[in-house]
Amino acid sequence: METIDGESFGEKYDLFVCLQCGKCTGSCPLSMRSQLSPRKHVREALLFDNEVVLDKEFLWDCTTCATCRLRCPRDLQPVEVIIGMRSILIEEAKVPATVQEALESTFKNGNPWGRAPSKRDEWAAELSLKSASEGAEYLYYVGCTPAYDPRVQNVAKSLVRVFKAAGVDFAILGNEEKCCGNEIRRMGEVGLFEMLMEDNVEIFENYGVERIVTSSPHCYNVFKNEYEGLKAEVFHYTQLLCEKLDNGLLKLTKELKKKVIYQDPCFLGKQNKIFEEPRKLISSIPGVELLEYDREKERSVCCEGGGGRMWAEATATGERTAETRVKEAVALGAEIIAVACPFCMLTFEDAVKMTGYEGKIEVKDISELLVEAIE
Amino acid sequence: MAEVFVLVEHRRGELRDITFEMLSGCRDLAKNLNASITAVLLGKNIDNFVEQLKSWADKILVVEDDKLENFNAEAYQRVLSHLIKERKPILTLIGHTSFGMDLAPALAAELGIPLATDCIGFELQDGRLVAIRQMYGGKVNARISFKTAPYMATIRSAAFKAEEPGLSAEVEKAPSPLTEEITTKRFLEYVEAAVGEVDITQAERIVAVGRGVGDYSDEKVRSIIEELANELGAVIACSRPIVDKGWLPKDRQVGTSGKTVKPKLYLALGISGAFQHVAGMSASETIVAVNKDPKAPIFTVADYGIVDDLFKVVPVLTEKVREAKGGS
Amino acid sequence: MKIVVCVKHVPDTAEADVVITPDKKGIKKEGLAFGINEWDEYAVEEAILMKEKYGGEVVAITIGGKESEDTLRRCLAKGADRAIRIEDPALEGSDAYALAKVLCAVIKGMEYDIIFTGAQAGDDGFGQVGQTLAELLGIPHAALVTKVEPQDGKAKVHRELEGGLEEVLEIQLPAVLAVQTGINEPRYVSIMGIRKAKKKELKVLSLSDIGLSPDEVGEKGSLLTLEELYIPPVEKMAEILTGAPDETATKLAGILDERGLIPK
Repeated sequence: METIDGESFGEKYDLFVCLQCGKCTGSCPLSMRSQLSPRKHVREALLFDNEVVLDKEFLWDCTTCATCRLRCPRDLQPVEVIIGMRSILIEEAKVPATVQEALESTFKNGNPWGRAPSKRDEWAAELSLKSASEGAEYLYYVGCTPAYDPRVQNVAKSLVRVFKAAGVDFAILGNEEKCCGNEIRRMGEVGLFEMLMEDNVEIFENYGVERIVTSSPHCYNVFKNEYEGLKAEVFHYTQLLCEKLDNGLLKLTKELKKKVIYQDPCFLGKQNKIFEEPRKLISSIPGVELLEYDREKERSVCCEGGGGRMWAEATATGERTAETRVKEAVALGAEIIAVACPFCMLTFEDAVKMTGYEGKIEVKDISELLVEAIE
Repeated sequence: MAEVFVLVEHRRGELRDITFEMLSGCRDLAKNLNASITAVLLGKNIDNFVEQLKSWADKILVVEDDKLENFNAEAYQRVLSHLIKERKPILTLIGHTSFGMDLAPALAAELGIPLATDCIGFELQDGRLVAIRQMYGGKVNARISFKTAPYMATIRSAAFKAEEPGLSAEVEKAPSPLTEEITTKRFLEYVEAAVGEVDITQAERIVAVGRGVGDYSDEKVRSIIEELANELGAVIACSRPIVDKGWLPKDRQVGTSGKTVKPKLYLALGISGAFQHVAGMSASETIVAVNKDPKAPIFTVADYGIVDDLFKVVPVLTEKVREAKGGS
Repeated sequence: MKIVVCVKHVPDTAEADVVITPDKKGIKKEGLAFGINEWDEYAVEEAILMKEKYGGEVVAITIGGKESEDTLRRCLAKGADRAIRIEDPALEGSDAYALAKVLCAVIKGMEYDIIFTGAQAGDDGFGQVGQTLAELLGIPHAALVTKVEPQDGKAKVHRELEGGLEEVLEIQLPAVLAVQTGINEPRYVSIMGIRKAKKKELKVLSLSDIGLSPDEVGEKGSLLTLEELYIPPVEKMAEILTGAPDETATKLAGILDERGLIPK
């Protein structure tokens, strides 16, 4: 089949070397519950024309966790093949209504949540933060979900408190901030992604931003690995705070006698190999006992929040992965599931309710645990 | 004496509320304009309307014609433009209804008369008429002046209260100026929205969802709302956007283009409160609104409000309602 | 089938705070997101569906500044063949009647079977441009249209009435159809699609290009004058329950219980 640029999938994604070993499908967190099968899609992309392959709603099930990429013995990128297929669907306007709304809102409002751009900084209304025009060592790039979602706003607020406690000199873009485009690209909207990238790079340059720290691994990933022409250094907040901890600037003094288990976000762990910093932050809190999942770090299981899944209704049936993870956490005796990603926060909060473990286990962002340890 | 024309709106043998709201609402204005009020009644077999209108106007001007049996903007326009040219009313009022929206703009343009649509009030300023109307979804009011007299305006439903003034109208029958069949536009039939299994107009308690619930086709979203409705013994209704998306059938829509409801409890979730919606539910006994935007107009009609994310509030509310039921 | 669709680029004020400008004649536009008027989005889709079904041409027209080309480009990307934008400083202060005169001046020399407009605009909400345009062009119209089926120089049209009722009528073409939301499902148009559509013709016309004098539009050519805008006084306000969701929901359940609104 052909990509939106008219190239063959086989050449663009080097699919001829595929062994059809099936490791990708075997490692896919959705393939057991959906018709999604990276191995099959790679084969189809090679053998069939566009009409035969497309029009399958389950293509929107992929969370772009990229486990398939990690496991591929030939270094292929099945996840990119799926994204390429979505791109065709986008250009042909065969888009699920909810995805369409998220994309249209991102174009119009600069966020996929359908919220007014003038309300983006409302979460920070009483925090009197520096704005990017005043200049600062770090630009704190908040992200759409921490800016607008009432639950995740608390992550942004907590981060601000921890940054202040650790003496981080930072500013925010306020209402000028726009979606980073990580999920937009993964939903296949290449043009919109490029537009956001160009806009954001220009904004960062205008303010002379040299260092960006993000709440979300998704923003981190796209800035770090996919933005063209971005000169600034990019950090996930766990990296920055770990450095402050090592320098003795972040002091964790209050005791938190809890058993905490950590969920590796795919875009932080698997895709960017940041495994130690979050764990170090958690285990440095006095009193905390850090537990580990059986499947952790590179083998960790996706929460199903990435790749646009926050806006796409999945065809997948059966227990969601986040629910499985909550049950595992409870079985391991964890009292808190620590996350470091806004999407993990939302999917796990949901999963705790769905599994009926409310009151038994809590979902907290690492920033929220740190706040408890400093105050 | 000057005259104010009020166009009587009726459909399928019944006078519509807007007629009485206009006749009652324009009384002060007519007095200030030193004008009498004439109800202009067009139709076929409309004697019973004449009786019903007698106590509401100074005069009823009746034009009967077979061609006026059903509303047809073309036919109405021809008759009204004839009457207005002949009798020169200072002001002509038409409902800002589907009927009025179809009719008034073309009529005003034909006559070259200034038309203010969707008005909610009037003032006189140095002898000139000023209309009050809303813009930006009800967030702003505008004062709009008419450059020249005579004037024409369409009136928003429920903007004025219908209070019978106890008049006794003189009835005048005028000949129909329609000489030929209207061929450009022909009425064929009425069709009702498909009737579903639930009649929201009969419900004692309603949980209504609007744009703010997000994707109502999402099973999770739906189940959160349905669970609350179940506990409350309420039926689920909605505002227009939810129907436009095809997430609920048309017969669940509350508002001017949907159903008018008067339940004991109306719980509005994620509904901003555009007037088209409010007009269909404002007579509910107790109105509760949950919305993220503290400036949402729904809070001006609600008795109780919660400014928050409805998905944080509703699950707790469901739980508490369940407890309250168990506790008695 | 030759189709014209009239569209408007409007600010989205559904959630945003609205601030009136010091001259009281407008609202502050900074920080507001702009896009195609919601009703027009359906009108454009209907126009393109017609073209896809019956063949022909779709021309999108707007009155407005350079920024409204965003909306025209979207129309072109969705499938309109060409676009026209009318801009002139003299248009400032035009009412719906004056705007209809402008559209009439543009359209009257064109060939058309159907002119689609949105039933109203989300900003001023007059809901009269389409019907006024029809009168000025001397053709029939229907407002609040929810279904269109063209047949032999006529169209069977559904109009939305109140209370879930619709009327069906037969209307002679050419006609102006002012479209109600929900008539169709507007399609997605990608940014790449918008970029590709940049090759399509977008003509910018001034008043003199369409043969109107400045006196025929703007405040002079209008029949209504906007005196002032103001924030409506709050007559009644709900009792707002405050606190975290747990607290507010608990308070509310208490109130409902007290009022006997919880069935037992």
